Amino acid sequence: MYEDLADFAIKRLESLGASYAESKLEEARGSGYVIKNGNVEISGFDKSIGLGVRFIANGTLGFLSINDLNKSKLSDLIKNSFNLTKTASKIGEKVRLSEEKTVKANYEVKQKIKLDSVSPDEKIKFLTDIDNEINKKYFRFFSLSDSISRKYFVNSEGTKIISKIPNVSFYYFITVIINNKSMQRYLPFGNSGGWEFVKKWDLKNKTLAEIKALENVIKKGVKTPKGKIDVVVGPEVTGIASHEGVGHPYEADRILGREAAQAGGSFINQDMIGHKIGSDVVNLIDDPTLPNSNGFYLYDDEGVKARKKILVKDGKITEFLHNRETAIQMNVKSNGSSRASDYNKESLVRMSNTFVLPGELKEEELFEDIKLGVYMKNFMEWNIDDKRFHQKYTGAEAYLIKDGKITQPVINPVLEITTPALWSSVDALSKKVEFVAGNCGKGEPMQGIPVWFGGPSMRLRNITMR
Amino acid sequence: MELAKYIVKELKGKGVDDVVATVNKIVVSQIKFSNNKVAKTGNEISVNLSIFIVKDKKIVVTSLKDFNKGEERTISPSNLSHNDKKSADDVIKNLLNFIKYVQPNQNYNGIAEGPFKYKNVKNYDKKIIDVNEFDLMEKGINSALESASRADGIIEKHLTETTLITSNNISTTDKSTRMYFSIRAFKDKDASGHMNTCSSSLSKLDVEGSGKMAGNIAKLARNPEEGKSGRYDVVFSYMPMAALLNHMMDSASTFQIESGLSFLANKLNKKLGNFDLIDQGNLENSFNSTKFDNEGVPTQKNYVIKNGVLKTYLHNTSTAKRYKTKTTANAGLIAPSPSNIILRGKEGNIFDIKKGIYITNVWYTRYQNHLTGDFSTIPRDGIFLIENGKITIPIKNIRVSDNFLNLMKNISLVGKESKHLRSWEADTPVTTPEVLIKNVNISKPKL
Repeated sequence: MYEDLADFAIKRLESLGASYAESKLEEARGSGYVIKNGNVEISGFDKSIGLGVRFIANGTLGFLSINDLNKSKLSDLIKNSFNLTKTASKIGEKVRLSEEKTVKANYEVKQKIKLDSVSPDEKIKFLTDIDNEINKKYFRFFSLSDSISRKYFVNSEGTKIISKIPNVSFYYFITVIINNKSMQRYLPFGNSGGWEFVKKWDLKNKTLAEIKALENVIKKGVKTPKGKIDVVVGPEVTGIASHEGVGHPYEADRILGREAAQAGGSFINQDMIGHKIGSDVVNLIDDPTLPNSNGFYLYDDEGVKARKKILVKDGKITEFLHNRETAIQMNVKSNGSSRASDYNKESLVRMSNTFVLPGELKEEELFEDIKLGVYMKNFMEWNIDDKRFHQKYTGAEAYLIKDGKITQPVINPVLEITTPALWSSVDALSKKVEFVAGNCGKGEPMQGIPVWFGGPSMRLRNITMR
Repeated sequence: MELAKYIVKELKGKGVDDVVATVNKIVVSQIKFSNNKVAKTGNEISVNLSIFIVKDKKIVVTSLKDFNKGEERTISPSNLSHNDKKSADDVIKNLLNFIKYVQPNQNYNGIAEGPFKYKNVKNYDKKIIDVNEFDLMEKGINSALESASRADGIIEKHLTETTLITSNNISTTDKSTRMYFSIRAFKDKDASGHMNTCSSSLSKLDVEGSGKMAGNIAKLARNPEEGKSGRYDVVFSYMPMAALLNHMMDSASTFQIESGLSFLANKLNKKLGNFDLIDQGNLENSFNSTKFDNEGVPTQKNYVIKNGVLKTYLHNTSTAKRYKTKTTANAGLIAPSPSNIILRGKEGNIFDIKKGIYITNVWYTRYQNHLTGDFSTIPRDGIFLIENGKITIPIKNIRVSDNFLNLMKNISLVGKESKHLRSWEADTPVTTPEVLIKNVNISKPKL
């Protein structure tokens, strides 16, 4: 309904002398529900529409956004913002953008069960049904939300893209308490698509199984073995390690230093294409085109066609994540990795769905030749330094491996390791890939965007855990 | 004002028990700089309408940014435009339809009953609106470059106008300015320092001091050696204290307590250390000071921890009634939240330790268990060894892996000077000195 204003913004900026302009009108609506310890804390809906405009004035990048969609106000804001950017250009970075094909496209993610067709009480009942099955002595926190985002993107080069992406997401936070000992788990789910995915998540059974596992850890858990051992990590740990230790340091804007004061830098430098970073079995992908994935898109927020990126092949770095600004600085084309969380945020180099390609072993075959080890199925605490060089994952559900078999649970095993050491120690992978949803943060103000990360289970050799 | 008034009146007339309508108009300008140059300018105009309604304890909230129909409009006109009225009628209809399907929140106990008398809060400075932010940014960068070779960061200013109307006789407005400067300086790729400053008053924004501090840390951080794991007495500078204090104060929110997400659960009136932890919504010149909280209660100063004893959780009217106490004016209509955090402790020579570590920034603070307070966080930027009261060598690749209750218990001394700042890791602004915390567990990765 306000597409004409998006078009107007481009013309207005061109008339002022901008060498490039792009404009994105974004209309979003959604609903959300929070259940805390069985009580419906809050429900609600939101709606927004706004325009974000990015341009180059005298070689310097400017960005403006407005949700008071009035032509004269927009015109004034454009003029002020353009003049500010022109002034800034005296001490501004001279920005160039890689040349990319102009695109005309219109795409949509279909909903088999439309989000609007499920009433708020059905959504609440869905949450309370899970809660009813859980021991009332435990803390239970459930959050369910859905959204539909429609974007209209145009730029001064003739690209015009319309997209409509629905998304569903859920997370739980459970605290299991037995005899004053507690364990906690947070687990998110997310898909692009309709209500059919909420049904597919099988949340009731998954939540109950997880609670049972944590109860078992509290009751029977033993300490982590000392010394060098072999470790098998589940898809959740593979996924977070892929995202934090590979995806983030391969973001070209971090490598080039543009995000240094916010999300930080990278231990990778731009000359490291071809550099051996992991063992031969490690192959790692970022792919926004996976149908119904949480990080799904077909064109990025600079209008560049999205594609699968092979970040690591046979343990060697093959490609970084680029937008048009970083691509030209490294003499490559953009690989469609520019994303913004909302109309009022500048797009940055982001991941989408980041994962390790599978191997050929059955899950149980990974354990067969391990005399003493730990199977870290999933984790709770994690963090990584700003160059993405050293990280820590503390197991939630974890088990001792003895003579090739999973035995009793292990309490809070800690894997604290450098990124090269982690990926170099991988010697085998299972054949089943699983994904976990995430909300990846970057930028200032902070932008959280939906992603998936995952992979198969991985076997790591000769690891010191705590 | 008229829009919010109309919405509250209409909803009340249709049988809704409690209504809070808030309109925020925010004008933001931001300059992001990288490698001593402007990387991007940013300008935003945003108008947001939030409505909270309760009927028979059933709660629905909505946040709208789409009530534009092309007409001229401001948030404080004397007349409501035709299109604003139409947008308001649409949202009222949607709210009343939505609430039919919602179940009651049995924990809900109402919103504050007005009217209130509001004292002036010093949170507006016209000089912020008029200031040339490029000049300020350059001053900050140049201060950093006295010691460092490169600076990155953000300078931004905000003008916010808030109108809040409730069904319980509250009708009020607030107008505030805010300014924020963040600078990370580099001497080389592996030697950096970071410092932030923020205020609602231009004269309190310490751009040059922040640049200088970031530059000095970067200069000292060159050629770091591998750190070693173990227990150390640690001096946490302003940036890491801002992050840690955010976690401590967030844990005092009743909502966190009831969700199992706080290590302060069951600790009321217990001795946790030897310091004062204060939240003050009306703190003079602070980045986040407002006249009233999200239900219109005048903001106040709350000693959350006094002389080491946990005195109160953060409350709104509803949670306070549940705990048989008074609101601390920290609404959050559902989740009470802090405004401006202040730490006070016993002053002394914080570097007077035999062997310790000086940490100048942290990030990625994550919990293994919120209920117990087991967590870790990663120092970034300059980290230094302290030996016999002096900073000796820079170190790298360490992690604070400890427990929040332990940290609180071991707060020993604080430095003389306090700074007001916020950061990526500290969303709520903090006024804090540098702090000596004894016996902190430091871990490091296996290579």
